[in-house]
Amino acid sequence: MAKLIKIDSVYKIYSEGLESEVRALDGVSLEIDKGEFVAIVGQSGSGKSTMMNVLGCLDIPTRGDFYLNGVDVKTLSDKELSRIRNKEIGFIFQQYNLIQSLTVLENVELPLIYQGIEAGERKRMAKEALERVGLAGREKHKPVQMSGGQQQRVAIARAIATKPNIVMADEPTGALDSHTGKDILSFLQQLNRLGTTVILITHDNSIADTAKRIVRLQDGKIIEDRTKEVDW
Amino acid sequence: MLTVLSIFIGIAAVMTIVSVMEGMKAKTAEMYSAMGSNRITVSIYSWMYDEQGNSMNTKDYYPELSSFCSSIPDKVIGVTPNGYCNATVVYGTKSSANMEYQYDDNWNYISGPPQLYYGSEQYAMCNNLKLVKGRDLAVLDLEKYNNVCVLGSEAYTAFFGKLDPIGKEMQFNGTNYEVIGVYAPRSEDGSNKSMDNFILIPYTAKRTLGGEINNFVVKAKDSKTLKEAISLIGGFLKGAVNTATGGYDVYSENTWQQQENETLNMIGLILGGIAAISLLVGGIGIMNIMLVTVTERTKEIGIRRAIGATKGSIIAQFLVEAGMLCGMGGIIGIAIGYVASIILGHLILQMSILPPVWVTLLTFTLSVVLGLLFGSYPAAQAAKLQPVEALRAE
Ligand SMILES: Nc1ncnc2c1ncn2[C@@H]1O[C@H](COP(=O)(O)OP(=O)(O)OP(=O)(O)O)[C@@H](O)[C@H]1O
Ligand SMILES: [Mg+2]
Repeated sequence: MAKLIKIDSVYKIYSEGLESEVRALDGVSLEIDKGEFVAIVGQSGSGKSTMMNVLGCLDIPTRGDFYLNGVDVKTLSDKELSRIRNKEIGFIFQQYNLIQSLTVLENVELPLIYQGIEAGERKRMAKEALERVGLAGREKHKPVQMSGGQQQRVAIARAIATKPNIVMADEPTGALDSHTGKDILSFLQQLNRLGTTVILITHDNSIADTAKRIVRLQDGKIIEDRTKEVDW
Repeated sequence: MLTVLSIFIGIAAVMTIVSVMEGMKAKTAEMYSAMGSNRITVSIYSWMYDEQGNSMNTKDYYPELSSFCSSIPDKVIGVTPNGYCNATVVYGTKSSANMEYQYDDNWNYISGPPQLYYGSEQYAMCNNLKLVKGRDLAVLDLEKYNNVCVLGSEAYTAFFGKLDPIGKEMQFNGTNYEVIGVYAPRSEDGSNKSMDNFILIPYTAKRTLGGEINNFVVKAKDSKTLKEAISLIGGFLKGAVNTATGGYDVYSENTWQQQENETLNMIGLILGGIAAISLLVGGIGIMNIMLVTVTERTKEIGIRRAIGATKGSIIAQFLVEAGMLCGMGGIIGIAIGYVASIILGHLILQMSILPPVWVTLLTFTLSVVLGLLFGSYPAAQAAKLQPVEALRAE
């Protein structure tokens, strides 16, 4: 069976050939199985976000191969990539990335709208996702009326509303206090136990330690790929 | 805001222009159809004047013209002199000398002194007149120089109110004329009342009452025979009129009306051009607003792309927004256009014009299409953004 994710000698190079050339990803190869919980760690500027953007089909690598479920991503059209982002992947960002002009419910509904799901069913699914993150009853609020932790939970609800196979989180706790951050983390672990593949990006080693597998990046290269023996 | 302003000014202008133009066309059409269609005007004139400045065109062309017309009955169904005199009309205590023109607040004609028209027994046929009382002019009245007259409906009420006028004697410049009939009003809604304020007398009365008869009206059978009739009559006049001392003209009122409509269309086109420029300015403004919006909302575009929006749905979103923006401007513009049409209709045409439904629909569609047109470039810009790049925006 094909790996869920397989990248082979992937490069992301900015201003290639110029003096200001930056190798955000410098020949990275990596395989991720279905159901894994992978933490990608490294210092600021080491290429973590770039890695997630490539894995999440938000960015196109300069060179190298990327297979998702055995499909060569290079061959996919913009429409097909949009569909993958919509159905297969849920994104969680450090800055929540909610649309401020929409209500909580509308934000969570958005990916379902792009799936073409009919309004009634869509609302039901969005409410269910909000319940799962403990935000039932806040549907009509606007993001600004909520705390950072609550906003991040809305973002998580949006990411899981479509029941994606993969959840990618880029510093999801970065803007939160440690207590709220722990809540978010344990929610991601719970998701993973139910079968979702989680890719967590962080520069915080103590957070990374909660993951079964840690991939460490430095200057765009993988310098460590370690899977823990014991379960947590 | 300024942009939406120019959109709705443009839309209001288009709306008003088209409505007023349509109103004017309707008004001229109504006037011509009241007189009847397929009319040919023949004018015969002289270049010679006597010492008092009066035309020396004293020859009576009617008998010749009339008999020529009866020789082509498959093309022409009526002919009459079309002249007038300035005699004073008196009946009992009422005199045209004491009648003044009166208008209402909108300058609609209310009343005035009657016109005295010279005509033949075919005058009614050529001018779409129907008799409601008594009898019409007869050939004998012309031949015998009978002092008789037929009243237009307005002239009838002005002098007789509701009384029976048949057999009564009126005085034209002091000479007695017997009223033999009354015509029905031609204007349906009363907006062209002045055209029924006349008294018809046999043209042969010119001998005693004076005035001029330079024009004749010929009624063609239908619009198909109109052209042939014009060229036949032209040929006849070539031989009949002494071109050394005068000349003649033959033209159809259909072409006249057409020309008037063409002039109106021309004016409409020019005004429409100005409105179009205003719409163009508005459209470019909309494009600018949308471009700014796209820049301001780059992050949102990135978020939407990340959670699965295709390029197509981003384009659709911004097109809908631009369309709604312009559509809203359009609705305000249409409202203003309505008011402006009504006001201008009263000021210029002395009539109430409501913009036709098709004009309303057309201008609304125009404004939405404008939005789509000028929104498409910003929408394409929005869709062009790479998801990562858009997400990076603040
Ligand atoms: N659009 C870009 N143009 C030029 N260089 C870029 C661009 N995006 C990222 N980089 C560079 O690529 C390198 C990796 O960036 P990346 O955002 O992946 O780092 P990161 O590990 O996520 O850092 P952080 O922990 O601060 O978020 C950095 O040196 C960054 O300056
Ligand atoms: Mg980063």
